[in-house]
Amino acid sequence: MFYFEKRQQTPGYLKALIPIISLLLGLFIGALAILITGINPLLVYKGLFLNAFGSWYAFSETLVAAVPLILITSGLIVVFRMNVWNIGAYGQYIMGAIFSSYFALFASNGLSKPVMLTVMVIASMVGGAIWALIPTLLKIFWEVNEVITTLLLNYIALYILKFLMYGPWKNPSSYGFPLSKTFPDTAILPIIFKGTRLTIAIIFALLAVLVVWFLIKKSKFGYEVRVIGDNPLAARYAGISVNRNIIIGMAISGALAGLAGMTEVSGIVHYLQVKIGADYGYTSIIVAWIAYLDPLITVLASVLFGGLASGGYSIQITMRVSYGIVGLIESITLFSLVGAQIFLNYRIRWKNGSS
Amino acid sequence: MDEVILETRNITKVFPETIANKDISFKLRKGEIHALLGENGAGKTTLMNILYGIYLPTSGDILIKGKKVIIKNPLDAIRLGIGMIHQHFMLVDTLTVLENIILGLKEYGFVIDKKAVKKRLKEIENLYSLKVEPDVKVWQTAVGEQQKIEIIKVLFRGADILILDEPTAVLTPQETQSLFKILRKMKEDGKSIIFITHKLEEVMQIADTITVLRKGRLIKTLPKSETTKSQLAELMVGKTQTLDFSRKRPKSNEEILKIENLTVHSDKSLKSLKGVSLSVFKGEILGIAGISGNGQKELVQTVVGLKKAVQGKVVFNGIDITNKPPRYIAQAGINYIPADRLAMGVAPNLSTIDNAIMRRYYRFPLSKRGIMNYRKALAYTMMMAKAYKIKLDNPFAPIKLLSGGNMQKLILAREILENPKLLIASYPTRGLDIASTQFFRQKLIDIANKGKTIILVSEDLDEVLSLSDRIAVMYEGRIVGILNAKEADKNRLGLMMAGVKT
Ligand SMILES: Nc1ncnc2c1ncn2[C@@H]1O[C@H](COP(=O)(O)OP(=O)(O)OP(=O)(O)O)[C@@H](O)[C@H]1O
Ligand SMILES: [Mg+2]
Repeated sequence: MFYFEKRQQTPGYLKALIPIISLLLGLFIGALAILITGINPLLVYKGLFLNAFGSWYAFSETLVAAVPLILITSGLIVVFRMNVWNIGAYGQYIMGAIFSSYFALFASNGLSKPVMLTVMVIASMVGGAIWALIPTLLKIFWEVNEVITTLLLNYIALYILKFLMYGPWKNPSSYGFPLSKTFPDTAILPIIFKGTRLTIAIIFALLAVLVVWFLIKKSKFGYEVRVIGDNPLAARYAGISVNRNIIIGMAISGALAGLAGMTEVSGIVHYLQVKIGADYGYTSIIVAWIAYLDPLITVLASVLFGGLASGGYSIQITMRVSYGIVGLIESITLFSLVGAQIFLNYRIRWKNGSS
Repeated sequence: MDEVILETRNITKVFPETIANKDISFKLRKGEIHALLGENGAGKTTLMNILYGIYLPTSGDILIKGKKVIIKNPLDAIRLGIGMIHQHFMLVDTLTVLENIILGLKEYGFVIDKKAVKKRLKEIENLYSLKVEPDVKVWQTAVGEQQKIEIIKVLFRGADILILDEPTAVLTPQETQSLFKILRKMKEDGKSIIFITHKLEEVMQIADTITVLRKGRLIKTLPKSETTKSQLAELMVGKTQTLDFSRKRPKSNEEILKIENLTVHSDKSLKSLKGVSLSVFKGEILGIAGISGNGQKELVQTVVGLKKAVQGKVVFNGIDITNKPPRYIAQAGINYIPADRLAMGVAPNLSTIDNAIMRRYYRFPLSKRGIMNYRKALAYTMMMAKAYKIKLDNPFAPIKLLSGGNMQKLILAREILENPKLLIASYPTRGLDIASTQFFRQKLIDIANKGKTIILVSEDLDEVLSLSDRIAVMYEGRIVGILNAKEADKNRLGLMMAGVKT
């Protein structure tokens, strides 16, 4: 028999161990699934690892996937710390992509590249923020739970995107494929490392991390976020406007998710289509948890999950392993992470007969 | 009567920054009420937490009926017949009373066998005249009620040894007396009780044996018959000071706070305010007496902006502050010491520093253009701890690790240091030891003597009577009378608080 004993404080080694074990568990279950399909999981994982970190090009692809993860997660951290559960980065990402694409597709005349890109960045952030503020206002004024509304808005965003892609924004010469015209050159983010797909978006991502780190650790806003996260009643008592901070936090969170959407269409895809990697919005939730809502650890965790994503794509092609495996590994990881929360707060003890 | 039921041998508990218990050897006999005394931070709660399996001792043994036991968690403790009522209640607000009582018990099934539970409740009610409404939610009940729920919870689990950590801090004198009746009955039934309090009258009234802790050590255990209040006070702190209660303040006619026909709805139907009007004059200490749950909380929380008035007006210093945000009101010069420190007064998992600066973090020098200066915050916290004698081992550790009294002192210090024009203090000395209580009462008087105004909400009639210039009594959401302190006495107040017209 074993039982739980409540902890007063969580030891540091455990905090480091739990994410690692969770990920290993995810990989283990993933291995079982691969085994069922009759392929040697060790070979698959070796392939996955090499395709994620084995060469400079492979690593650059990992970073390509890490960039949107870093952007989105940085924003999620801010609201998660206030116990506001924004599950809507998926939709905010799509809206960011749509808003910025509008300018790339229909308003690019005569604008120089820097101006064009600035406009697109701002548009994407506004788009993402609007999409995040809808559920926020519903939460504040009608006490509608944000988990449900942000999730629903994901579907609405996806349908808006589909509508545009099959309808008004569809490229007439795309042979029926749901995609827009290719962006003009002025609307495409410049590459920073030749021979890779890494754009200056990586600078946006690092800037976002720094800004969020500063906000959380050094700013007055960060202090207020901390108090709200721990005891909203005490926050109100101290004169902190809980609603105002939630609005600001959600706006930041939505804006960064929207920006991630822009970097994807403008930097990687170069046109708008239905599949633009919005799933990053869900993966980021896992990244945020595994990083303990810490902006600096987020970078590390994003690279890890970026590697999983890009390595996963490659093995899908080279080894015929379904990309679904990556989703499985991710979800098992999240599952065990959430389950492991109990170990952070409780200590397991084994019982020996008498007591 | 002489059988030792529980014994500790050389219990030591070391925390990273402090030794909370050092070599404590303590004996509890069957059928006795054993009072545990000691100043704030002396280690009382820690010792009890060890007996209840919340902490393991660093070294030392626990014996029950002469047999060595290891108590690894509260379940072990319950199995050994130990029940504990914590300094801060551990009820789940959103559950019903009945659900709270059987929380964690397997015997009543996954789908609760309510009939069986109610039958057992009836037995307890008959035995100890302890009655509660099983089907209301805990948040709808008053503190005195919650105390009873906690006791029933313990009895339900069949405890022989009952630990009560400052049970009377939140009770009215009447409630305290009925608690004592219950305790005496339990004692007659052969149960043993450990009772922590800072109130010496209570000790003299109910205890058989008294143990005094000081700075983590057991100073002395002695039978009540062989001691006096002043000896106990001396054992606890060394020496006590006498208070200078003299009113050096002139009577003023300047109305600093004017409340007109204030009506407040609250989720708890009975407890709303029903058209309260009140004038508070500059430089006075106005006591508000009443049994908790009669609108005192709603009244003061509406003044400070934490509750919305549906009708009426609050004017402070000539400005209308009705339904203004809390920050606005605080900056107008009103500070508030809330009744429940853990629920509202602090963010328990944040550091003592974060909690100490709650009232001024947004001002220079703690922040400047939106950027915090945590070095200044640390300095401010250390200054506060020093000036107000707060036992603070590590300012970076979560504030919930402070002893109950020290947490209360920090809240008091934090609000007083804002130097408000009007200080609203709810149960300010709740959980403070004798010396700290005197220290802070003196502080309140000094503040008033300097021309600031104080509203003092308390159930402790001695406190209200000794500090106030005038006393307003609340009953069922109304002010039923305002007395000058000179013409008030405990009896008259008690009757008014109970709703009897005088
Ligand atoms: N979990 C903990 N970690 C670190 N220090 C602790 C912990 N629990 C208690 N302490 C420290 O141990 C000392 C004794 O605390 P304890 O709560 O036992 O005091 P107490 O006698 O109950 O005081 P009070 O009358 O104020 O309730 C205090 O200095 C407190 O800060
Ligand atoms: Mg205590």
